[in-house]
Amino acid sequence: MTSFVVKRVGAALGIVVVLTFVMFFLQRISHTDPVHAMLGAGASPAAVRAEAHRLGLDRPLVDQYFSYLKGLTHLDFGTSYRLREPVSTALATYFPATMELTAYSLLFALVIALILGVGGAGKWKGAGVFRAIMLPAACIPPFLLAMFGKIVFYEHLNLLPAAGRISSSVANPPTGPTGFLTIDGLIAGKPNVTIDAFIHLLLPALCIALIPAISIGRILRSSIEQTMQMDHVRTARAKGLKERSVLLKHALRNSVGPALSMAGLQLGLMFAGVVVIEIMFNWPGVGWFLAQSIPQGDFPAIAGVTLVLSITYVAINAAVDVLQAVADPRIRV
Amino acid sequence: MVASVFPAITLVALLVPILAPDNPLIPVTTSSGMSSFVAPGHHGFLLGSDLIGRDVFSRVLYGIRTSWFSAIGVIASGMIIGGAVGLVAGASGGLVDSILMRITDAFLALPGPVIAICVVAAMGPSLFHTLVAVAVVWWPFYARIVRGEIRALAGRTHVDAARLAGVSRFRLATRHLLPGAVPAIVVTASLDVANLLITMAGLSFLGLGAPEPAPELGAMAAQGMQFLLTDWWVAVMPGMAIFALALLSNIAGDGVRKLWGRS
Repeated sequence: MTSFVVKRVGAALGIVVVLTFVMFFLQRISHTDPVHAMLGAGASPAAVRAEAHRLGLDRPLVDQYFSYLKGLTHLDFGTSYRLREPVSTALATYFPATMELTAYSLLFALVIALILGVGGAGKWKGAGVFRAIMLPAACIPPFLLAMFGKIVFYEHLNLLPAAGRISSSVANPPTGPTGFLTIDGLIAGKPNVTIDAFIHLLLPALCIALIPAISIGRILRSSIEQTMQMDHVRTARAKGLKERSVLLKHALRNSVGPALSMAGLQLGLMFAGVVVIEIMFNWPGVGWFLAQSIPQGDFPAIAGVTLVLSITYVAINAAVDVLQAVADPRIRV
Repeated sequence: MVASVFPAITLVALLVPILAPDNPLIPVTTSSGMSSFVAPGHHGFLLGSDLIGRDVFSRVLYGIRTSWFSAIGVIASGMIIGGAVGLVAGASGGLVDSILMRITDAFLALPGPVIAICVVAAMGPSLFHTLVAVAVVWWPFYARIVRGEIRALAGRTHVDAARLAGVSRFRLATRHLLPGAVPAIVVTASLDVANLLITMAGLSFLGLGAPEPAPELGAMAAQGMQFLLTDWWVAVMPGMAIFALALLSNIAGDGVRKLWGRS
């Protein structure tokens, strides 16, 4: 078990190192020149040389890479061209909002996947309906879903808010300790914060969750169908259990493994969805920050967002693998 | 039969300049003068008109053309690059296989769409850069599939026979291994078109594609967002076009899968 964990964590670290290579390379080919971004176009040649020296751009590439890597280990993502402040400050402000949105999206995706997977697997009449919904639902771009959500639930039914994390009427929302408003509200003893934050989360999280939910649901369904052919399921049927309890008690638990792996992989797609959805719902997260940085060519900010999202992705996938190995010893081989 | 949706969409995309009723870049002048925000179905605007009076239907048609050919281009590059890497890795085995697959796995272990956003942002927003960035993150998936197929084929008797007959390694790879991997790669690709269309629409939505006023579906949806609650069609119609394209591709992809007898 220990060797499996060491191997898996080692692989994750290797991937992060590859990622830093990619980011360093992209910084080199970036179309904004860091010196001119800091000084403006009309800077004197002497000032340009001095700034290039300050940024370390006159040193050998290998040197530059290692000081970049060293900075990253101290959470130094460089200075934003646009804000003139460390990227890490902005990331610390926006990252919790993104994580909260992603966590709920993942939760919703898993719940929807469970319903679709179990509903579509059985031999009952409704199974075909579940399967028929999945095909078109997988083709809806998140931003289209968000538009319908806004028009229907915000404009017409006036049920759900369509922007931000929390209503302006909620006074002094807690700022810590987790950064998740739904949890901090409970810790601070302000259930109204939790409820308000949750209502704000619903629409954006559902928009992000739909496509991943279908991919996960498909895997779950085929995994359940495979498990249903196995001997222990035949035994369960033979001893006279109802089909429903065979499915839920004997087949489902053995079938969630592949679905969980898929959920880890779908997180990459979800992060891309998060960026789009944060813009649509004015969600103050890293995606929103990224969208502000792209038109300005603020590469340190863009790279910072890419790094934190990618590292989170790699870490969660490693954690999923380790958890699976804990749950199912066959994987460790 | 359904698989023929692919050539049909391609044909429509080719014919867009003939099919589009208006120029996608120039506002239409109607007899009553102003043509800003005409609702769908009025004054000859099938899908309405936008802020400055351009025909949304024509812009959506051109957007479909761009999206479709972009998706086909990226899929083709994924098949070629991924196919080549997978073929070399699978046919060589040993150290070459290990190294190529480690690189592939490193790419697969990163969140592709996020990396693609960063690559375009670094190179500067443009349609061509978007295509390059997505192609860079898209090939590893194909490399894995082709390599798996090649490894499975390598143990088959017809390959042993060819090897005993003294066939060169290049010929063995291209004539005896590669054809066996074609069904898997074609089926994968045809089911992948919809994902790619939606991902690239997302990048375009973020403003990473061709600059205004180019008719791109994602960008049109993003620009229409500020009018969503008053003039919904400007934002919704391009989104619906992506949905329709993705749905047709998935149905056609399913047709291709059944045609090649794969589950």
